[in-house]
Amino acid sequence: MLLRPRAADLKVIGLYTGRIILGVGLLMAIPLATALIAAEWSAAVDFVIGMCACLAFGLIAELFCRSSREPTWTHGMVVAGFSWLAATAIGAIPHWLSGYYGSYLDAMFDMMSGYTTTGLILIQDLDHVSNGLNMWRHLLTYAGGQGIIVITLTFLVGSAKGSYPMYVGEGKDERLLPNVIHTARAIWLVSLVYLAVSTPVLWIIASANGQSAVRGFLHALWISMSGWSTGGFAPQSYNTYYYHSLAFETATVVVFVAGSMNFALHWAVWSGQRREIRRNIETVSFAITITVAMLVVTAGLMKLGVYPGFLAALRKIFYQVASGHTTTGYSTIYSRTFVRQWGPVAMLGITMAMAVGASACSTAGGFKGIRVGIAFKGLLLSIRRSIAPERARVVVKWHHLRTRVLDDGAVSSAMLIILCYLAIYGAGTLAGVLYGYPLAEALFDAVSAGSNSGLSCGLTSPGMPALMKVLYILEMWAGRLEFMAVFALAGYCVAIVRGR
Amino acid sequence: MRLIPIAVILFMAALAAPAQAVDLPSPGSAGLVEDANDWDGRSVRFTGEAIGESMMRGTMSWIHLNDDPYGLEETAGLSGFNSGIGVWIEAGLASGITVFGGYGSHGDVVEITGIFNAACPEHGGDMDIHADSLRIARAGHDTAHPIARSRMLAAAVMGALTIGLFLAYAMPRKRSVVEDGRKT
Repeated sequence: MLLRPRAADLKVIGLYTGRIILGVGLLMAIPLATALIAAEWSAAVDFVIGMCACLAFGLIAELFCRSSREPTWTHGMVVAGFSWLAATAIGAIPHWLSGYYGSYLDAMFDMMSGYTTTGLILIQDLDHVSNGLNMWRHLLTYAGGQGIIVITLTFLVGSAKGSYPMYVGEGKDERLLPNVIHTARAIWLVSLVYLAVSTPVLWIIASANGQSAVRGFLHALWISMSGWSTGGFAPQSYNTYYYHSLAFETATVVVFVAGSMNFALHWAVWSGQRREIRRNIETVSFAITITVAMLVVTAGLMKLGVYPGFLAALRKIFYQVASGHTTTGYSTIYSRTFVRQWGPVAMLGITMAMAVGASACSTAGGFKGIRVGIAFKGLLLSIRRSIAPERARVVVKWHHLRTRVLDDGAVSSAMLIILCYLAIYGAGTLAGVLYGYPLAEALFDAVSAGSNSGLSCGLTSPGMPALMKVLYILEMWAGRLEFMAVFALAGYCVAIVRGR
Repeated sequence: MRLIPIAVILFMAALAAPAQAVDLPSPGSAGLVEDANDWDGRSVRFTGEAIGESMMRGTMSWIHLNDDPYGLEETAGLSGFNSGIGVWIEAGLASGITVFGGYGSHGDVVEITGIFNAACPEHGGDMDIHADSLRIARAGHDTAHPIARSRMLAAAVMGALTIGLFLAYAMPRKRSVVEDGRKT
């Protein structure tokens, strides 16, 4: 029998959702300060309104949903699912007020794209936006990469009790440390250290590239934030093509590949377990799948002879493939170049790379290397079982921080999540084809949205049908949360309506 | 007498040069990107708003020209994404651009001529134009972003509401803390 949630349950959900929105509001203090320093008064007023809306929402939740109950597993999952939608809806206020969006839906699209570190954009006339709005766009990806719930756990929730389900609901299930709040803080520590290192490096390169000190610093900071979080946002409409610099490209690759690695792997390496890099199933899986993707794209481009030499081809192919595979979305080519010059084979290679994605418990999206590795080893297990004698016990092992024996449960849960991803990729592709887009293009952008990659072949634009924008928003949301929180929220909504 | 034919040739060349420049095709960034292979290696004319900055690399420089409606027509409304192209040009020529487009300014509208590269062998396969001439077609200027009165009012109302809610949230809590203190 389906039980209807009681008012007390809704209060717990409301309270924690409110706290997360409160966290989003406090985060807006940074772009507000940026706008004030840059004397962008109009943008500053937009952020005051947006910040007050978030704080008011959070305070209303604190006033009307007071509860001393600890959230249960279900509460945590529902909070994770709902808070991302609420944060998108309310957090989009400064975007909308900026005047660079055709509709509130477009503003929400970019908001969800930022939080989920996707990188697809609908912002118009990006080359004329304020520093304040650019700071907010990139901060969103940085915060979203770590997780907006991780932020709340780090700064606003004092007790670890009941926090773990929210943390898991946000698509992370690794405990770097025994206490979930300590884990959330460790994730922030790792991220801030990388930001502190990559920003000066990119700043030096930007200065050598001819950017002024201030613009160079801001670009370095924003690209570091967005690169580490595999977000793919950039301050200019040209994305990373704007810099025309091999050194800049190389530095961004290092940043976004590091960001796409499992936080637990970073923590293990920091703790002295360097061998983990070579042994971990995710790094092995990543090395294999990126090689396959590179080969497919190279085969496609060699056939067409797009680039004048081997080095130029290698530079372009590696950057786009690495960016797609880590689900970053940085690009040194035009969106339409995929269609007009790269052709369907190379596009398929990039699509495959985006679909697979990078590591679990990282800032990246897609199936994740751990699931692809487990699914592949599961296939090996089945083959070996089928050819082994009946009484033989076939054992396949896999390594992630520790070596484990592969069991059917791990294989089926990995396959289930992969199937969910395939379903959202398929839904987005079908919608695109029904709206009249060519299959290769519809598939490319749908996979990009669902895997939180952000590369586009030109389909994603302010002029695309509103229903596709909504579908992509849902794809980005479900893909980022890895479905459990989405299913929990859907189930909860059904229980509210039909429960007894 | 020998000077006469030279003068005639120079005169003809002077007449021919602008005519040749006028004849250069202007496919625009959309045309260049969509039909990159067709335009590869051809001389083109390109007009667009200089945005961002001039990034000097030795004696040369990278500039970016947007030929979208924001750049060329200075449209006040929204007209889709920006579009433009990166231009590799002598730093001396690029220094003629005094205003670059950004939040607080509309950049100089610049006309360049040069060779279009679908995948430039000199620049790691970038799509670009190697320009040999630059002319400021329209000077840039500062842009104002006035704050609407309604926006100010909304900010004031939202600010007051938030402060009110914060007081409502903090007051009872303060009281209960005091009460707890008396009990202990």
